[in-house]
Amino acid sequence: MRKFAALLLLAAAVLGLTLYAQDAVFKVKVDMVVLSFTVTDSKGKYVNGLKYTDFRVLEDGIVQKLATFAEGNRPPVQILDDGSTKPLAIADNAAKEGELKGSSDAFVGTNVFVLFDTSNYMYRSFVYASDAIADFVRGLDKADSVAVYTFSRNLTRAADLTRDRNFAIAGLRKAVAGDDSALYNGLLLTLRDAAKVPGRKVVIVFSNGPDNGSMVAPDDVRSVAEDEGIPIYVISTAEVNKDPISSGVFRRIAGRTGGKAYFAKTWQKQVEAFESIREDLGNSYTITYYPQTNPNDGFRKIAVEIKSDAAKKLRVRARPGYRPRTS
Amino acid sequence: MRTHCTLFLTVALLSATSLQADLRKARDLELAGSIRAAEQEYKADGGIAYAEFLERRHHPGAAAAYEKLAASSDANLKRQSLRRLIVLALLEGNKQAAEGHLSKYLAAGGTNLSFSATTRPAASSGLIEIPGPIRSFSRMAALSPDLTPDELLGALARNVVTNGYQAAGNNEGLDQTEYLKLVYRYLSQAKELEKLATTNQTITIEQCDSTQTGELLKVLGYRMRGACGGDLVLETVNASRAFLTIDSGFPLSDLETALKTGKPFAYDYKPTKVPVLYGPTYWNETKEKDKPEQLFIEFFMSDPQLCRLYLGLSKLDASTAEDLKKAMPVQRLRAFSHVLDFFGGMLQIRNGKVAVPGDPRSAAVWTDLLAANPDNGPAFLEKLISKDDGWLAAYFESLSRISGPTLDYLSEPNRLRRFYLALRGKITSPGPARPVFRASTDLMLLTSRLRMEPNGKPHIPGGVENWRNLFINHPHGKYDGKLTKSAQGWKDPDDLLEALFALSRKAVDNEPLKMFLSLSDLNRGRKEPLSSATVDRMIKDWKLLGAQYAALAEMPELSEKSILQFLTAATTLNGIGDIQFRADAVGCFQALEAITQILNRNRLLTVPLDAAFEPILTQIPLAKNPRDLFDAVRASIRNLLKSAGADEKADPQIAMLGLLSGAAKGVEDDTHRVLIAEMQKVFDAQRLVSLKTIFDIDDNLEAPSNGGKTNVALVNRLSGRITDQQPPRSSLSGAERNAMAFGYWVDKHIENERKTNFRAIVDKAGTDPVKLKEARGQLTSFLRDTIVGMAYIHYAPPGAQILFTNPHFVRSHDFLGVQGSNQTWRTTEVFGTGWPSSAGGRLVGSLVSLPYALAEAEQNFLIPTREQALIWGDLVPQMIVSAKVPRYWRVTPAQLHFTSLHYRAGESILAEAALDASLRTKAIAALMRYAPPARSEAVNAYLEAGKVTDALDLVTPSEAFNMAAYMIQANEANTGSPLVAEIQRLRQALPQELSAAAISQAFGTPKPTLANSYQPQLLSLRTFPTLMGYSSRILAESWESSNIYFAALADELGMKPAELNVQIPQWTKLAVEKIFATHLEDWPALLRSLRLVGQEMRQSSKQTQQGSY
Repeated sequence: MRKFAALLLLAAAVLGLTLYAQDAVFKVKVDMVVLSFTVTDSKGKYVNGLKYTDFRVLEDGIVQKLATFAEGNRPPVQILDDGSTKPLAIADNAAKEGELKGSSDAFVGTNVFVLFDTSNYMYRSFVYASDAIADFVRGLDKADSVAVYTFSRNLTRAADLTRDRNFAIAGLRKAVAGDDSALYNGLLLTLRDAAKVPGRKVVIVFSNGPDNGSMVAPDDVRSVAEDEGIPIYVISTAEVNKDPISSGVFRRIAGRTGGKAYFAKTWQKQVEAFESIREDLGNSYTITYYPQTNPNDGFRKIAVEIKSDAAKKLRVRARPGYRPRTS
Repeated sequence: MRTHCTLFLTVALLSATSLQADLRKARDLELAGSIRAAEQEYKADGGIAYAEFLERRHHPGAAAAYEKLAASSDANLKRQSLRRLIVLALLEGNKQAAEGHLSKYLAAGGTNLSFSATTRPAASSGLIEIPGPIRSFSRMAALSPDLTPDELLGALARNVVTNGYQAAGNNEGLDQTEYLKLVYRYLSQAKELEKLATTNQTITIEQCDSTQTGELLKVLGYRMRGACGGDLVLETVNASRAFLTIDSGFPLSDLETALKTGKPFAYDYKPTKVPVLYGPTYWNETKEKDKPEQLFIEFFMSDPQLCRLYLGLSKLDASTAEDLKKAMPVQRLRAFSHVLDFFGGMLQIRNGKVAVPGDPRSAAVWTDLLAANPDNGPAFLEKLISKDDGWLAAYFESLSRISGPTLDYLSEPNRLRRFYLALRGKITSPGPARPVFRASTDLMLLTSRLRMEPNGKPHIPGGVENWRNLFINHPHGKYDGKLTKSAQGWKDPDDLLEALFALSRKAVDNEPLKMFLSLSDLNRGRKEPLSSATVDRMIKDWKLLGAQYAALAEMPELSEKSILQFLTAATTLNGIGDIQFRADAVGCFQALEAITQILNRNRLLTVPLDAAFEPILTQIPLAKNPRDLFDAVRASIRNLLKSAGADEKADPQIAMLGLLSGAAKGVEDDTHRVLIAEMQKVFDAQRLVSLKTIFDIDDNLEAPSNGGKTNVALVNRLSGRITDQQPPRSSLSGAERNAMAFGYWVDKHIENERKTNFRAIVDKAGTDPVKLKEARGQLTSFLRDTIVGMAYIHYAPPGAQILFTNPHFVRSHDFLGVQGSNQTWRTTEVFGTGWPSSAGGRLVGSLVSLPYALAEAEQNFLIPTREQALIWGDLVPQMIVSAKVPRYWRVTPAQLHFTSLHYRAGESILAEAALDASLRTKAIAALMRYAPPARSEAVNAYLEAGKVTDALDLVTPSEAFNMAAYMIQANEANTGSPLVAEIQRLRQALPQELSAAAISQAFGTPKPTLANSYQPQLLSLRTFPTLMGYSSRILAESWESSNIYFAALADELGMKPAELNVQIPQWTKLAVEKIFATHLEDWPALLRSLRLVGQEMRQSSKQTQQGSY
């Protein structure tokens, strides 16, 4: 029973469930932090094979006790009080209780949400973009799940989260082109969906930038991604200097959430960008922790240190922090 | 509770005489809203009462209960049960079962029921072929796949007319739009694919490595990358072709899988046969040159005027269209296609004659105006559509849409002619049907919203003199030189109406009409109309404050003195020189006005409205600085809470949220808790400071004056909330900041708040009571945000993504507007859509139309469940407003059931009418009061054929509701239906509670454009078309079916009325996400989505309750 309750709590934490009592509204912090990051050397090559004991995570300077650890698409392990580890078991009923879309192995691999711009702005490059995304989906690790969403003025869930690549590609190939572009509205809704899914997740935006329909600003959307721990990768089909404002925004939302921005006008560049993202996914570490007591209800800075890297030669790319969820 | 008891006793007493003792309990339980318990009691009896109970509740077990009784030896009971079984079977769409029951009914001695033996001749038609699957063509042509084949060409014609052509840059011709070019390109590709579909019209690929594969991929614009087998991938080689392949939904993914796996690929590529009204030959007559290679569909789309004629003729009922067609050759009809398209919907020839509005006394005038007699229908219609470039047809159509005293007045022969001559003017071109959207909006509003006094005269706000002065002095600019001159001699209401008709023809903003309708609506609910002096003042203040009159119209209890105080207050506030202070003062004033409006709408005030409003109107305008303003606002809030019966010692934040939920004091149930929790979540997401915190700090600042100490913890709490805010532009680059359109004062407001170091202010003031008192002025802008936020959260649309994501959304409300335009008192508008133009969109202007603006901002966050859904720009916000503004705390179970019964009775009467010619005549006549002639006739034809479900697909819930109400009132629905009998019983027992006004208030919708008020009401008007200047806003406001449908659904599912407070917004969201419409007036798509939601809810309720209540 205790285990079940703990699992429920975990699911609630991942989901960010809001709990209300009968007579009054209780403010409950559901605060498990999921942190994905990559480690690279001075030449930009991924550094693999590090253990959880190699890392020290600080939040506003306070050292955190890690709850789980995973490298790449390997299954996560639970870190016990005595420092030992054991495979993380997620009961099916826990997922069910939380109305999660994933199954019990949802914590294995990455849940990839592809957000494809089908607005009028993408009219000319629509089919090439579709090909590039299809290639990316085909090349994903078997453990990964993928959802394909499209947006113009509204969001469309072309293919829900699945491990069936054909299903995802079929959804992609049904996309309809045209209409205004509400990129940040669409990104927000995608993040909201991704936030409901347990485990590690990323959002990949494929767009050429302009937005003439959103009611939310990029940085408000970025805050949601930061707080939910969802890295945003952006592949822009526009040239970096053609639209400096969109380029700047793309860089900022990607960088601040632990993702990357690519500017890939040609099909070949787009394929390369997708390849780079796949590498990132396969070479990243994911840890979770419950924050130590911290009076700061505002933005909390996260720092990941590598204990063995005294010379600070290695580079960690992670989201810089988050705002604790209160409701 | 008290209401329930009254209902219970009244109806129980009335029913006592007619019910057996053992059924009384069941009846009492049912009337008290205990449906499950009632069901058990009725079931125990098992007689006809049980079956009727189930039918009233739309329970699927009703048929089985009647079946059981149909086996009875009691002949009467047998016939009664069989009759209901026939109706239920028809409502289910099972004609065969209905015929079986009918045979038994007749065998048991039943009479007066039979299916029609005659078959109505169908409209002549022929078939054309469109290459490829219809699904693909529909995707490319932006047509809903839910359209029936009969509807397809009409819908396509509409798209071609509205979206297919644009003015050519260098001449007077028309160029195809990108939309139409793509449709043509698709047809070209489809013809090529058709050639490859050699086996049984199926595209077949047996082997990956084959010539067929190469040919197919070439047409599709793709090629293979990698060899046949697992590594094969399809990639684009010809972007234009590939675009068509994807956009038309060709199963590329299936083809790729087949090629990878070596399995055969087969794709049915039969051409689609589509019916064409009157057959293709009729339309081909307009062809200038025969192009044999051209498909009919290509020829059709190439002629927008022909498309418009198709659209126009499809709006007429079949026999009228046939008569007209015989009277006029297609080429001549084509010349007036625009008139037929817009105004043909209300034209009808019956037995060779046209029924003119105001018939019979107006017939002579119509004859004279047209030089044709309505008794010669075809000739009359020919003249009508060709006269004055459509002005007379527009006039005819507007008058045909109304009935009752207004029509009686306007169709008086002299007026009929006089007003028409005013409308048409001397120069008739351009006519009202020339644009793509109809331009006769004002005419339609004037005729349908003109208010008549009990004495049969039109209501003129103030008096004719007020309007005479307006036209002569025209304080806001000259309207019309001739009218200014003629106004000198005005004496009679008709003089004014003549001027309003004359102005209705102008394409420019018709300010006098707007004023007239707004002030008429303001007077509508008042016990005493506004005096001439007040009307005069309001006319003068129109330019600045006209938009605010909608709020005053919603509060008819407000005295004339308060209205004048309101005008004075608003003008005073508008004159404040310090811009930042003006924004705070106006923001506070309007927020309090909005909260008062909400409390009054939900009948939560326990004192006269004037008393609740008084401090707002008198104290806020007197404030000279932020400190005064704070005091005035706090006093106003205290007074409002007291006026709504809140305990003086209660936490003001909790009390205010409780009131804003719309529930009366003491309501404690799950729905209420859910609503409060939702509101609190939005409040927290906006990081607003609670009223309690603000007031506590204020009290705290007073403490040293009374010998107490400042509470540091409290001050820290506020400081924490302030520093928690990130300025909206903090992380922007210089380029982004420069690209932003506006927002200086809003940014300054937020920045000032951020810079407020309350701790330092308090420290600096030390224990000096005067300085501490002054410090309260610093709280004013926070108080403004909090109360503005209260209005926002009351109207927060379902989902409320913006409010949950942009923490500055409330603070960003711009009461000043773009520099150079004073938007302070204008309607609320959405600004800053799209990036980069602002730090997220925001609302600008006053709070008077906040519900609509919030819904408009939120609409694009709804996620369509199907691709290519058309979310209607104006329809969806109004649907959200209709779901969000009304509250159901005071709705009684009897009102819910009564509304549901009417809707069901309407459908049931129509089903019965399929077997009863006399009833059918009455039902169609009643339906025609609310639905256009062509649709009513189509319903008639379906009923004659016994196709009841097809007929019901053409009837909206509000039409069924109104039709039943009308027939029952007119004693024309006495068919022995248990639904009708129950309506009569309930109405007799509870005349007040179930009056038309009470039901209108319970399940009506706000109509800010049509009725100048957010007060929910049912107007029972015909559904409006799309109108220029209003797009589909008026259409959306005339759609009253959603809440009626949801009321019936809730009643069927045994819900308490209070649950609708949460369910209706959710159901509306689901319905919107399921809409798959083709065009703005495609309300059948909306009806389908409502029904889908109904099916889902029934299914979910069934799963929860295992098939019972």
